[in-house]
Amino acid sequence: MTGIEQFLADKGIYFLTFFLLSLGIYGIITCKNYMKKLIGMNIMQVSAIIFFLSLGQKKGATIPVLLEGLTNSDAYNNPLTHALMLTAIVVSLGTTGVGLALLTRIKEKFGSVEEEEIIRRQDKL
Amino acid sequence: MPTLVLEAILLLALIIITMAVIFNRDLLIVIITYCAFSFIAMFLYIVMGAPDVAFTEAVIGVISTIYFIITLKKIDRRCK
Amino acid sequence: MMRKVIGILLIVLGLGYVFVSFDFLPAIGDSSAPAHKHVSDYYIENALKDTNSPNLVTAVLADYRGFDTLLETTVMFSAGVCVVMILGSKSPLRKRYLVPKEILKGKPYGGIPAYKTVNKDVMTTLIEILILLYAIYVLLHGEVGPGGGFQAGALIALAYIVNVMVAPDIKPLFKFTKINAVAAAGIGVFIYAFTGLLTMFAGGAFLEYGKLPFPIPENDLHPVGIMMIETGVAIGVMATIITILIAIIERVRFDDDRN
Repeated sequence: MTGIEQFLADKGIYFLTFFLLSLGIYGIITCKNYMKKLIGMNIMQVSAIIFFLSLGQKKGATIPVLLEGLTNSDAYNNPLTHALMLTAIVVSLGTTGVGLALLTRIKEKFGSVEEEEIIRRQDKL
Repeated sequence: MPTLVLEAILLLALIIITMAVIFNRDLLIVIITYCAFSFIAMFLYIVMGAPDVAFTEAVIGVISTIYFIITLKKIDRRCK
Repeated sequence: MMRKVIGILLIVLGLGYVFVSFDFLPAIGDSSAPAHKHVSDYYIENALKDTNSPNLVTAVLADYRGFDTLLETTVMFSAGVCVVMILGSKSPLRKRYLVPKEILKGKPYGGIPAYKTVNKDVMTTLIEILILLYAIYVLLHGEVGPGGGFQAGALIALAYIVNVMVAPDIKPLFKFTKINAVAAAGIGVFIYAFTGLLTMFAGGAFLEYGKLPFPIPENDLHPVGIMMIETGVAIGVMATIITILIAIIERVRFDDDRN
């Protein structure tokens, strides 16, 4: 078992996280509907948060709330990464809200949310 | 089970759900699958040892799904 | 077709590069990585002495790095302002009467609408009060366990969403408009900045909790300062979420509308 664990710790988890990021980018490039592009953007944000949190792990450590007897600094996870990622999640909610407001206005003005129809009607305007 | 193997299994589940989101043509199915994606990401944060981040992701995943369903009422449900 | 080829090429090239030459990142779980060395050791060992709060994440977020949280609340407020500016014009849907779609052919509304079968008295007196109680518990226990200002604000907004969306034809308890909600978010940011100005008037630096002008011993002033900050953050996040909801729901027409 230690062979698989050593491989996962060195490269495996970074590889899977990067695969998730590239799937998100593929979704944004390929899909022609604007709502799917927004969902792809959210998937990219989750993958960035996973990468950051995996850098702050320690082997055999507990959650970053202080207990009575433990004062060693090797027994707690790194609290700096958790604090930064809390801000990132809330900001991603705000970005999604603004994106959906833009989507509503586009639908009212152009009549559809697919990319090719918008380009066709924009040339006709 | 050791922690890193559990993380790898959850990441593989996330990748499979992402493929179901991209290659689908009905927008209601895409939104509900995105809610499941957010739920499994919350489990991954707990396994990595970050309860604050997991709590925030649980609440904000629900609110984000509600926003998407409200805008779905305005646009067509089919997608190409 | 061209886009899919470019996309697959990007994925394959990127993954190949990552797999071959990603040696400079440290192994996960290693205790001697440079991310755990310089500043995090100081935070873990001295947080109880400096800030008197056992939750390390709240101590880092609200005391050691207070500026980041202030500017993050400002970002949420400006997202609310952007949404109000984009969707500010008069909505064009209220004048016409839309014919329902073909799936409802025959019956005028497809049977009884789903929201009329939910008992609104049960939802209001049971579920919303439990959510609000849990939100206040999470806000006040942010220093002892996992919790804090962001989660509490989002939970209060969730209680309001349940009240508005479960039965849309009954008037909700508080009627928010777009501009009222954005102003409430501004009040949240103001409470946060006011705490910083209060410490400056009493002779310290901006957001230095040891010099707040309350008659309490100095070791207990840090939790008071953190509590005031978390209240400001909670109000800001709650008001922004309600703003975006109301700005979008004014322009959507449900199948059961009669005007």
